[in-house]
Amino acid sequence: MAFASDRPIFLELADAIAADVLAGLYPEESQVPSTTELAVHYRINPATAGKALNRLVDAGVIYKKRGVGMFVATGAPEAMRRQRRAEFHAEFVVPLLSEAHRLGLTTTDVVSLITKDPS
Amino acid sequence: MTTLATPDLATVTSGISIRHLDKSYGNLLVLDNLNLDLAPDRVYGLLGPNGAGKTTLMSVICNHTFRSAGTVLLDGDDPAENAPVLARTCFIREDQAYNDVFSVGAILGIMPGFYPSWDEDLCRRLVGRFRLPLRRSARKLSRGQKSALAIVISLASRAPYTFLDEPYLGLDPTAREIFYEELMADIAEHPRTIVMSTHLIDEAADLMEEVVVLHQGTVVLHADVDEARSSAFVARGRVDDVRAFAAGREIVAEHALGQILSVTIRGSVGPEEEDLAASRHVSLEPASLQDLIAALGIHDLTTALTQENR
Repeated sequence: MAFASDRPIFLELADAIAADVLAGLYPEESQVPSTTELAVHYRINPATAGKALNRLVDAGVIYKKRGVGMFVATGAPEAMRRQRRAEFHAEFVVPLLSEAHRLGLTTTDVVSLITKDPS
Repeated sequence: MTTLATPDLATVTSGISIRHLDKSYGNLLVLDNLNLDLAPDRVYGLLGPNGAGKTTLMSVICNHTFRSAGTVLLDGDDPAENAPVLARTCFIREDQAYNDVFSVGAILGIMPGFYPSWDEDLCRRLVGRFRLPLRRSARKLSRGQKSALAIVISLASRAPYTFLDEPYLGLDPTAREIFYEELMADIAEHPRTIVMSTHLIDEAADLMEEVVVLHQGTVVLHADVDEARSSAFVARGRVDDVRAFAAGREIVAEHALGQILSVTIRGSVGPEEEDLAASRHVSLEPASLQDLIAALGIHDLTTALTQENR
């Protein structure tokens, strides 16, 4: 059961930026938006925006260049990809199968749906 | 009720500290033994029903109104009759009266004399963005324009302690967006303490770091906004399922629509709640800050009070 919208905004924002890093919108060693830019863009408290960036610093996704701003760490997208692969089963496969079983579909049914020609 | 730690007054040298504050108008006690500590450079939402004492509290802190009893300290000093301390505050009342013969431009022209940190460039930009008519007399401004003028003065004052009393009465949604954007941009660059009273709780919630809820002249909740938000949730489903889910939990509000029941429950959602909800086909949603205020029972009390007064 997902409860994503209950999460504090700073977590949502940190995840959104991390997703953009993973998608390549912010390449390695490129600058991510500042606290002020995030606060103005999303109309959120600058402290909230700062908490989101600090969380990404702690996770090693971005790093701070003093007086310049925040930049995507080299290797961060690959590290995130590795972590998400490790979480893929619990995050996606388990909920998929539990919904399938609720609907009366067997695991074999699901496998054949996945391997079915998309056309 | 959530209460933050109460430090010893003698040790407080920054921020706002209030102890045992009373304010009465004749027999009417508007602030009743109010205690509050606000750390500097944060944005506070001052919430509560009409008549809770929000405007009076801001007015007493800024010495626009004398207090009846108690202590108020601003950065460790009493603001009462203390010009250097009061120069650090800006408070434009929701019903601020201006001399009718003055134009908007003339009013803005004298402001630098009141506010040592006044920023003329910011003032000009805001006047432009809100399209304030500089030559019009204050008397002829619409409700929205009066609010815009108050916002211009409040933000351009750059006062370390800025109080915004219902800052957007009469403002259209576009003007409110401009206000949010300018406020966030300016405090990011120039951090200062903002205390903002509002009834648009959910719309303004993302701007705030902490919420202070007043009711009948006292603080009934003072919490971090995320903490306040996660202190209640809404469970929705078929009546029997929701009843089974909610058994033994603190229900603060409920609404029925045919066979569907929706209840607001005090507490947070953990794996146990998620599993139980899934097995009962009950959906869980976050309660909004507005729901939480209602959940504190304040609105029920207010209704009772209003009826009593009739």
